[in-house]
Amino acid sequence: MTRKTLERCAPLALLALALALPLAVQSATYMHILIVLLFYAYLTTSWNLVGGFAGVLPLGHSAFLGIGAYTSTILSLQYGISPWLGMIVGGVLAMIVGVLIGLPTFKMRGAYFALATIAFAEGFRVMVENIDKIGPFALNGPRGLQIPPLGFGLGKMLFADKEPYYYIILVMLVVVLMLTAFISRSKLGYYLNAGGEEPEAAMALGINVARAKLIAMAMSSFLTALAGTFYAQLNLYIHPKSVISLDLSFEIAFIALIGGRGSIAGPVLGAMLLRPVSDFSRIYFGDTLPGLHLIIFGVILILVMTFQPRGLQEPLTRLYHWVIDRLSSDRRTA
Amino acid sequence: MLYILEDAINGILMGSIYGLAALGLTLIFGVLKVINFAHGSLLMVSMYVAYWTITLSGLHPYVALVIVVPIMFVFGYFLQDIVIKPIFKAEKNVREPITVIIVTTGVWYILDNLTLLIFGPQYRTLQDNPLRGKMLEIGEFMLSVPKLWGFGAAVLTTLAVYLFLQKTDTGRAIRATSLDREAASLMGINAYKIYNLAFGIGTATAGVAAVTLVPFNNVFPTVGVLFDIKCFIIVVLGGLGSIGGALLGGIIIGLIESIAPQFMAATWAEAIVYGLFLLVLFVKPAGLFGVKNDW
Repeated sequence: MTRKTLERCAPLALLALALALPLAVQSATYMHILIVLLFYAYLTTSWNLVGGFAGVLPLGHSAFLGIGAYTSTILSLQYGISPWLGMIVGGVLAMIVGVLIGLPTFKMRGAYFALATIAFAEGFRVMVENIDKIGPFALNGPRGLQIPPLGFGLGKMLFADKEPYYYIILVMLVVVLMLTAFISRSKLGYYLNAGGEEPEAAMALGINVARAKLIAMAMSSFLTALAGTFYAQLNLYIHPKSVISLDLSFEIAFIALIGGRGSIAGPVLGAMLLRPVSDFSRIYFGDTLPGLHLIIFGVILILVMTFQPRGLQEPLTRLYHWVIDRLSSDRRTA
Repeated sequence: MLYILEDAINGILMGSIYGLAALGLTLIFGVLKVINFAHGSLLMVSMYVAYWTITLSGLHPYVALVIVVPIMFVFGYFLQDIVIKPIFKAEKNVREPITVIIVTTGVWYILDNLTLLIFGPQYRTLQDNPLRGKMLEIGEFMLSVPKLWGFGAAVLTTLAVYLFLQKTDTGRAIRATSLDREAASLMGINAYKIYNLAFGIGTATAGVAAVTLVPFNNVFPTVGVLFDIKCFIIVVLGGLGSIGGALLGGIIIGLIESIAPQFMAATWAEAIVYGLFLLVLFVKPAGLFGVKNDW
């Protein structure tokens, strides 16, 4: 096979593998771990649109997740509106909020931007915890909302088995990955890249850096909110500390940075690497060594930032190209 | 009215201790141009060091200063030298290296969870504490004695750091590095050594804050997180890098926390703090009292 066919076939093979995986996995626990892994890969890929391509460090993305989760849950619980529709409504709401946040914050330098996003998300959480009702919509303050597991079906995005959730989040991930690949090759991607590396130079070339960043923020917050609905339907219970948590915001950024921010495969690689560490250390050492997985996270983070600042995708991409090169019939090196 | 005045005074006292806790953060930012996300964890480590020093030696809590402060200085100095410096060297040309922020976050996770592993999640309070619940009556006011001492420590430490930066040669070298690393290097200042020093001093001031906190504040592995975000807010309010601003920013936060609950649910006071923070960021990002590079 030629290099081109191989490079085209590799992602398809990976996708086929992902599609077939539930057939091999029988245990519901492992199924859940896989779903959460894909969920984090999706969240991080959405984050990457701003945090990776636009060269800033947002640390409050869980606020958008919360907007998505609360919107669709309130609409379905109190008005019987399908979560699929609520998902879109939540996404649009989060997009509006994201743009409103982006307008003043994108002017700030690195550290200030990170702090502003943290303060926004934390302030938002405190507000949700303090509000029982906004007009006709009940938020239930710190108690949160519970989705009764009644009436399963695709329309209600509620399933007795884990498999449908797996396929939903897999499709979402594939779509957001394709979108990322498309953007990274589009004008917007180049604008973002240029604006992230050298904002002054980019502006001197006539690029509207602020607008490019705002578009990225709008897409990122929209996509993150969709995952919020998925989270609510999967866990059937949301409360402010679970969906709008600082830990979650940080974990998304960690996964992206370890995997390699600004690359397409980086966030997925990061999730594939870190989620199992977290899940298995919690399963095996949760009682005896609490917090072990966070220590491992911290150590990996420092090592990666010191020795491979562009993330683990870089050596892995090199390996991937090497393998493709070996397998292809028209090898570059004689 | 009298209650509000009493709350206000207690708010100022507590706020000055917040300011003391944030002093190191603003110093480190001023020199390294990096938000040290591990600052709360360094405060937490200092509190554990103070707690064990006092408990094991039986000294008066404030005497522990002579042990805690040097330990924390050395800790901060080598943390910067061993963990953070390599990343600075890798990203020489970036003015505000994001990767360094990330690495301090890694340090935060490691320190907090290592403490959890070693000492467990339980809350610890000083036994045989001569300062516990001690109150000073001035006319109609009841003031907490350990917080009064904390106020004094905050003012003195801020003054000491300010004078050190203004009057000593090392202080001038630190200020020069903060203004322009390249130019300072050309004058024969070893910038990385200055970074180590600034990090050490910043951590040592967290040590002072910890010693004043331990007599009336519980010690537990996540205590740093409570102060972490508060410290970020304080230093931005006061102006990142402004030494006096940290104290004033801390007092503002202390006042809001003590007075706002008189008028609304206490939990809303927290939301007000975040709102004020965002407002200052948007309107006057240099901070309420900070002028760019004012030291």
